[in-house]
Amino acid sequence: MSGKSMALRVGRYRPERASEPYVDEYEVPASDDTVVLDALNYIKDRIDGSLAYRWSCRMGVCGSCGMMVNGVPRLTCSTFLREFGSGPVVVEPLRYFPVIRDLVVDMSDFLEKLRTVKPWIIRKDDRPVEEGEFLQTPDEVDRYKQFSMCINCMLCFSACPVYGQDPDFLGPAVIALAHRYNLDSRDQGHAERHEVLELNNGIWDCTFVGECTVVCPKDVDPAAAIQRSKVSTATQTLRSVVWPFGGRE
Amino acid sequence: MRTEAPRRYPTYAPKVPRTWWLRTAPFRRFAAREFTAVFAAAFSIILLLFLFALSRGQEAYEGFLRWLGLPAVVVLLAIILVALLYHAGTWFRLSAHILGRREASRGAVIATLVAIWIAVSALAAWVYVAL
Repeated sequence: MSGKSMALRVGRYRPERASEPYVDEYEVPASDDTVVLDALNYIKDRIDGSLAYRWSCRMGVCGSCGMMVNGVPRLTCSTFLREFGSGPVVVEPLRYFPVIRDLVVDMSDFLEKLRTVKPWIIRKDDRPVEEGEFLQTPDEVDRYKQFSMCINCMLCFSACPVYGQDPDFLGPAVIALAHRYNLDSRDQGHAERHEVLELNNGIWDCTFVGECTVVCPKDVDPAAAIQRSKVSTATQTLRSVVWPFGGRE
Repeated sequence: MRTEAPRRYPTYAPKVPRTWWLRTAPFRRFAAREFTAVFAAAFSIILLLFLFALSRGQEAYEGFLRWLGLPAVVVLLAIILVALLYHAGTWFRLSAHILGRREASRGAVIATLVAIWIAVSALAAWVYVAL
């Protein structure tokens, strides 16, 4: 420990004490390898046990510890205090989500939307297990692999001004995961996802601000997923109108 | 689509300020990209007026050319040109993001788009000079 310290301004919301959120400032030890989550744990263990926040793996895998750090959605376990010079570091709950307590947001909206796009492999002709696995070539895996890396941390939602303006928008991660299954050669559920994805509040609400991709800690690139989804939908619609026999191959 | 289950606990939902698009540099660039689309619409209208004048015979056409030569209109067209160049540039970058999987292929997409742009502009210039 170098003996240095840094000020952490933490957004607090304790509905039983105050109806409005407020800010508490804490002084935490800050070495070169201290991440924001370490600082929050230090506060919780040594200064103020009442602070509430979510975390689990500490290594950028579980997607629990997403918060606004100096106004940017980040995984706090992968955000080092040294990035911010002499501070202070402002930690707030993820933007655009209702806050339940301190840094804990209500994830219900995200989880409900995720369910609506059926993010699992849908088969029309399910085969018995004895017939063996569905084989895929490395190329077929490559088509969707990037979009399958999502850890549901919701940083992209907090980066998305469209979601901020219209809470009914399906949102970046949800569309990226729907796109991931649509691209999977084993999946036959495109039509089942169509209504949610391509009609109200789906892909066409996206104005391609692109910030979801910038903040994604797993390089999922939801912005590209949404735009490619738009391209493939538009192409299919055009084919069904222009081509003989609805463009079926 | 959103099912509003009654919450069993109080929550706080911060309001999004109307000026959210001024908050960060990427948001400001996004707003600039969207705003310059207005100039694309303005140019389309001028082009339609041009075709309309053309369809109404020589007098109307020459009158329209005189209107185009007015200093105020020239200034307007210059502003439109700058805005459209910016707008087109943003969409080249975005197209590369959609079409290119890796950084290298994104550069190739932009290069291709710029090459097509130059070729079409050269063709238009050639048609203008030749006729």
